[in-house]
Amino acid sequence: MAIVPRAGEVIGQQGSKHQMQFIRSNTFHWAAALAALFAAFVTILFGIIYFKIDDYLIARSDRMITTQVNFFAALPPDRRISALDDHLGQDSRGVHFAGIFDAKGNRLAGNVARLPDDLGAGAPVKSVRMARADDKQADAPLVRAVARSLDHGHVLMIGRNVDETRELSRVVGGALALGLLPAFCFWLLAGAWLSVRAQRRVEEVNMRVRRIIAGDLRERLPHRNIDEPFSRLAAIVNGMLDELETTINALAGVGNDIAHDLRTPLTRARLTLERGRTNATSLEQFQEAADKAIAGIDQSLSIVTALLRLAEIENSRRSSAFGDVALGDMLREVCDMYEPIAEDKQIALSVGMSGPLHVRGDRDLLLEAVANLVDNAIKFTPRSGSVKLELSRGEGETILRVTDTGPGISDQEHEAVLRRFYRSDKIRNTPGIGLGLNLVSAIVKLHGFRLIIHSGPGGRVEIICPDEPVGRA
Amino acid sequence: MAAGRMAHVGSRRDRGAVRLPWIREDCAVTMALSVGQRIIANEPRRATGGDLDGSRNDLMTKVLLIEDDEETAGEIAAELADRGFDVEWSSNGLDGLAKARDLRPDAMIVDRLLPGMDGLTVIESLRKDQVRTPVLVLSALGAVDDRVRGLRMGGDDYLTKPFALVELIARIEALLRRPPETRETTLRVGQLELDLIERTVKRGERNIDLLPREFRLLEYMMRRSDQLLTRAMLLEEVWNYKFVPATNLVDVHMGRVRHKVDGPDDAPMIHNVRGAGFILRAVS
Repeated sequence: MAIVPRAGEVIGQQGSKHQMQFIRSNTFHWAAALAALFAAFVTILFGIIYFKIDDYLIARSDRMITTQVNFFAALPPDRRISALDDHLGQDSRGVHFAGIFDAKGNRLAGNVARLPDDLGAGAPVKSVRMARADDKQADAPLVRAVARSLDHGHVLMIGRNVDETRELSRVVGGALALGLLPAFCFWLLAGAWLSVRAQRRVEEVNMRVRRIIAGDLRERLPHRNIDEPFSRLAAIVNGMLDELETTINALAGVGNDIAHDLRTPLTRARLTLERGRTNATSLEQFQEAADKAIAGIDQSLSIVTALLRLAEIENSRRSSAFGDVALGDMLREVCDMYEPIAEDKQIALSVGMSGPLHVRGDRDLLLEAVANLVDNAIKFTPRSGSVKLELSRGEGETILRVTDTGPGISDQEHEAVLRRFYRSDKIRNTPGIGLGLNLVSAIVKLHGFRLIIHSGPGGRVEIICPDEPVGRA
Repeated sequence: MAAGRMAHVGSRRDRGAVRLPWIREDCAVTMALSVGQRIIANEPRRATGGDLDGSRNDLMTKVLLIEDDEETAGEIAAELADRGFDVEWSSNGLDGLAKARDLRPDAMIVDRLLPGMDGLTVIESLRKDQVRTPVLVLSALGAVDDRVRGLRMGGDDYLTKPFALVELIARIEALLRRPPETRETTLRVGQLELDLIERTVKRGERNIDLLPREFRLLEYMMRRSDQLLTRAMLLEEVWNYKFVPATNLVDVHMGRVRHKVDGPDDAPMIHNVRGAGFILRAVS
């Protein structure tokens, strides 16, 4: 019930703010947050890639210039300068730096004007700023360089421009922008789409639920494929609605049945009273009419009482009153009670059992159930027949069986009896099955036992009492 | 209440003559008015409770009725008055409790659902004050659990609405005349003699052979001779049945016992009160 006003509220908002609502929706928020997270991860990933490549390139340059400086230092001094010139001449990209300097740092050969002051001879490769002698650019590029002392106080320097790593970062950044921005936008759009879709479905469900609340029980929630959570939920709700619809229809049917069953004796009572009032001329006639009317009213009352009792047992969820019931004693008691009636009909009523058997249950209710079965059996067994009460052990269960030599229960009635109380109620006027069997069924169910009704010929009804009853409340 | 037919012995006077329960009536007049219409016409009047206690002959048995529905209360009160009871009526729990304390009635009829104070609470408070007045609880709740609760809270008997007035009267009389605890091992009603030790029954010189279940039934009836015993009462007390079976079992059992007790040449002792129940009475 609490859902009703809220559902109405949502519907009311949808008219005015429908367009913007998806932005506020939970789905969209989640989508946006996920997109942001994704972007952050991708950025970090690209950063790592960049730094790794940068490291690798510098290490490679370092190895290369170390090899080169060793090579040039090992050459004889007269060939060294021409080799150096060759080396520089082959450098089309202008990334190589090299030079031989005298002890004061002045150039003897190579393309670098001065030996940088912070580059010590014999030190490992390091980054220094230096400019080519022919380069007029204001800022000197960053160069990985190494220096080596030669004889006569000369110094050999070999360097390599590593500015290309900066280029690399530009490329990586560009790729990042090109890839990430559309992806981020796509995420947002997808989020918005999902959110709008969910919104629409909620709206649709809301509409249908309102129709159901309004009383149209045939309405069902939409569901497409069964694997989607939303559809599965819808399928579950639909199943529930199916059950509800059946029950409510059955209830309506019962209502009609009860009304019919009550109306018949009440009509009789009314007619009797009416006729008595007009026609009776003596006290005896009045009393006769009144007695007949009372009988009619009593019949109506007994139907109401039986129905209430049935409802009471069906709704009873208590098993706290359960105790140990000695079935044998109980059967003998029922037998004792019904023996005179059986004798009057020349029916042999007997009890057979393999030993003392106990079950957990409500003694009074179980007695009522068995008494009902015996009552029925005697009622529908023709003269000179027999009714047997038997108690035996099955596998992990105790079986209480009532058999008779009557016509038994036909398959058709059998079906009706096993259906829920409300339906089987329809056959209340069928001979052989009254409310009694419904009552038995309700009592048996309450105990977590099973009622098995075998088809004729010959009546055979069993109450199966498992040692571990299922579904007991 | 199922197939067994209930008879409603209502007061059949016109509405104008319905007396208010608190107006004490002349018992003789009441009896004269209703005597012709009684189904239990030959049941002895027990208005004074004289059978129990001779010293109270001049006092009528006082019954306190606590029931909030005025019409129901009116009918019950009228019927009780017809049968010679002095009826006090109270329409709510608090007033009822006060009256129960002041008037010290001989028996009480208490509806379960009452304005002011619940019927069961009324009984509980009385029991706490050590008031042992027998109480018949009336209720529209027929559930077994309610019944058990009603009896546990101090009620002595429980009757579910709707009920037949005969049933109500029979139960009230039963409460008022609970058989005294006796060490006697032989029950006697007229010529009928029942030996509880030997488990034998004799009517005059004639031995009566009874099955154990028949013995039980006759024993109960002899303890409550001269009382109307309804089918529901017998089912509850003799067979301990909490429900009314579809077949009229009581009549069949009673038929057997009657056949044995009342021989073909004897004057009948077990009487069938049409539509109500049975009475065991000594031959006068």
